[in-house]
Amino acid sequence: MDSELILKGVYFSYDSQWCLEGIDFELKKGETVGMIGPNGSGKSTLLKIMDGILKIQKGEILLRNKPISSYRRGDIARQIAMVPQEATFRFPFSVFEVVLMGRFPHLGLFPFEGKEDLEIAHQSMRLTGTLDLARRSIHELSGGEKQRVLIARALTQRAQIILLDEPTSFLDIRHKVEIFELISSLTQAQGLSVIIVSHDISLAAQYCHRMLLLNRGSVYKTGEPDEVITADNISTVYQCPVLVDKNPISNTPRITVLSKKGEGKKEMV
Amino acid sequence: MTGNKDQGVTPLKVITIGFILSGILIGIILVSLSLGPARISLIDVLTWATGYRSVDQTAWMILFKIRLPRILLAGLVGFTLSIGGVVFQALLRNPLADPFILGVSSGAAVGAIIGIVFGLGFSLGVPLLSFMGALFTILLVMGISSRHGGLESSTLLLTGVIVNAFFTAVIMFFIATTSDSRLHSMLFWLYGDLSQTRYVQLSISLPLILIVSCIIYVFSRHLNLIVGGEESAIQMGVEVELLKWVSFLGISLITGIVISFSGIIGFVGLIVPHLMRMVLGPDHRLLIPASALGGASFLIAADTVARIILSPSELPVGVITAFLGAPFFIYLLKARGSQWTQS
Amino acid sequence: MTLGPQTKMIITQVRWYFHIKAYLKIFLIILLFSSPLSSHAIVFHDSLGRNVTLRSLPMRIISLAPSITEMIYFLGLGDRLVGVTRFSYFPKEAQKKPKVGAYTDINVEKVITLNPDLVIATADGNKRGDVEMLEEAGIPVYVVNPRRIDQVLDTIERLGELCGVTGRAKGLVSYLRERVVRVVKAVRNRGRPLVLLVINMKPLMSVNRNTIHHDIIQLAGGRNMAGDQPFTHPKLNLEEVIRKGPDVIIISSMERGGEFEKARKEWFRWPTLPAVRKGNVYLIHSDLIDRPASRIVNGLEEMARLIHPEVEWDDR
Repeated sequence: MDSELILKGVYFSYDSQWCLEGIDFELKKGETVGMIGPNGSGKSTLLKIMDGILKIQKGEILLRNKPISSYRRGDIARQIAMVPQEATFRFPFSVFEVVLMGRFPHLGLFPFEGKEDLEIAHQSMRLTGTLDLARRSIHELSGGEKQRVLIARALTQRAQIILLDEPTSFLDIRHKVEIFELISSLTQAQGLSVIIVSHDISLAAQYCHRMLLLNRGSVYKTGEPDEVITADNISTVYQCPVLVDKNPISNTPRITVLSKKGEGKKEMV
Repeated sequence: MTGNKDQGVTPLKVITIGFILSGILIGIILVSLSLGPARISLIDVLTWATGYRSVDQTAWMILFKIRLPRILLAGLVGFTLSIGGVVFQALLRNPLADPFILGVSSGAAVGAIIGIVFGLGFSLGVPLLSFMGALFTILLVMGISSRHGGLESSTLLLTGVIVNAFFTAVIMFFIATTSDSRLHSMLFWLYGDLSQTRYVQLSISLPLILIVSCIIYVFSRHLNLIVGGEESAIQMGVEVELLKWVSFLGISLITGIVISFSGIIGFVGLIVPHLMRMVLGPDHRLLIPASALGGASFLIAADTVARIILSPSELPVGVITAFLGAPFFIYLLKARGSQWTQS
Repeated sequence: MTLGPQTKMIITQVRWYFHIKAYLKIFLIILLFSSPLSSHAIVFHDSLGRNVTLRSLPMRIISLAPSITEMIYFLGLGDRLVGVTRFSYFPKEAQKKPKVGAYTDINVEKVITLNPDLVIATADGNKRGDVEMLEEAGIPVYVVNPRRIDQVLDTIERLGELCGVTGRAKGLVSYLRERVVRVVKAVRNRGRPLVLLVINMKPLMSVNRNTIHHDIIQLAGGRNMAGDQPFTHPKLNLEEVIRKGPDVIIISSMERGGEFEKARKEWFRWPTLPAVRKGNVYLIHSDLIDRPASRIVNGLEEMARLIHPEVEWDDR
């Protein structure tokens, strides 16, 4: 498998302290990677670095084997799409208009979309099950619906790499699963390479090929879900006692967070 | 208009709406030309133009030396302030924004008042000083708010508020210490005074306004993206910081020019964008030309009302725009306020 | 020798008489010194009908308006002024007097500190609150309110009376009255040109019939174009002016650096105006027509000269 994105020895800081230190990472084509780690460990920052929005101070980032700094912003946008945690639209654009905005990096000087662009937008909405929402105002949607729309927008960008920043944080369990299912089917169908930042460790483990565990700005562990999600790793990094066993249905790691009561009992197990 | 919702804005749509609004604009211009203390009907104008009847010198002079330049300036001011409102509301992501929010208006006012105090002429002297005031304020506010080469929206807003407050105090100082007829000139200027407009004022303002408007229009889809968040916009390739610099500077400049000649006319830059957005949707590729044309029509109409409502005396046009604008804005808040507080 | 009973009675009566006179004298003297009203205390009625009581001849006068200052100096009472307002710059001597603020914004404290025995205020401009505060501090305030030329002359006379120079005042005022009459006579039967008095250029402002300017124009043999306007200082639409076509345009100005020339040039853009065709666009110094004081007669004469140049005015 080729690498879509390679990070070598990446260091980044906003001001005087390093926010990210010595990051080495590779995203292979067709992979779905789950990025986990406690709050403040640098996950969002790392995503922005990968997208080329923030400039690193040390190290190298290669997008399809070319340094990311050699790309123009528009070029990057055609290859990497970001689905944010949430998006506030100050004015009432319709769902269709929002999805269509994904075509921005592809429009040339002529500021209007062509038939092809409209088609692509329709297709994205079909794939994300948002076609019937097309005429509704973005303000009217529920959290889950909105996330699907944002994913549709990312799809219209026709990028091969999609970065999702905690797409399920504000969703209920049903919608969480829906989103993961959607991403999984899309990536399989189109061979997309995806990085999902999530706090839903158990859920992510079911859908990701690899996991990346961040701790305080550096990579604590990468590898298959089984390797990364262990009681040791998780409780050390998150500083919170957990129990890790196997999900009997999917055979992937499952985390149970222990309350104070359970901690004592754990010793007994 | 729900056409946008599943088709997007097409060139055809823009041209069609453009035509309709231009038609309305021309209609309003013609009607306004015929209204005033001196009764001059369009039929008269036609008969004179075609030589059917000999021209009534007085009426001709009134039409083309008094009414027409004034109507054209009103249109230009409405055009400029409305575009400014659209752009500022998008860039600052704030529905309460208008082109005066960063302090341009109060800076221009201080300049104008100083010009009035020193007895400068009203066709070029006072406007020049007013524009200098506007320019100074723009550079001050943008200078204070620039950080690492970028403009922070919330800093801009705050700085604008403070600058506005300070300059308003300066204005009050001058008003409090002037007791002769200059006071009237000051007060009228502060509420918009389009009387005695000269063609030279139009020819000075028009080129820059057209240039800036065209540049802004090129960025209309960029503005669409910014409405969804600066970060998303950057991600998709919008050069947000560059856009902010160009837009704030450009809009403030043309706003400064235009209010140097007309005085401060409020509510136009706030209301017209919202009105147009309600009817035509938030896509800036349609919204910008629509607001520009709609704003021009609106202000011409308001100025005509200001001219004839107490005829032959006159009201400042800002009074009319406030009377129309404030109730409308309250209605907007009640009807749609929830949208603006959406997270 | 013994006096007869009748003689005794007469002597008693005469003695009594002298005693009474003495008693009366003593009584009168006591009355004189114990009464709150000395023989100079007079109650005056000012222009608003208010009672103003003066215990003695006013020697420390404060004027609360430039027009009042002018009138005091005109009456030759400049020495008695101990306080004037900021714009009381005429005559020159007034500029050296202590200032008590601008006439729309009097510094009441300063007035009281100057210890006046008479304050003269105007109903047109001074704040009623200030007047009341001064009266509460025990200072007599005389309010004037001249709205027409005849009222101005009347006011000068009354101020003269107030300050104890009645005779002088009468003389001066009758001289002014003569000049007014001379003007009125000279312009009689010479038609009434339509006059536009411009008190501000942008916005264009004139005066209606409720102003002293209107009175001046009328007396000077003109017709005030804005006379029927509902507002005192109406903002005029230029169109209306062009339509009505004034014969004379008079710009009231403080003559700040070439402002008049600029204003005059503005008017020459409208060649259909009779005033422009005949070149009748003039300047008049604002003080001569704004201030209801003695110079208003100069204003009247100047106005008449501008409106009726055909009359042979003797140059003074």
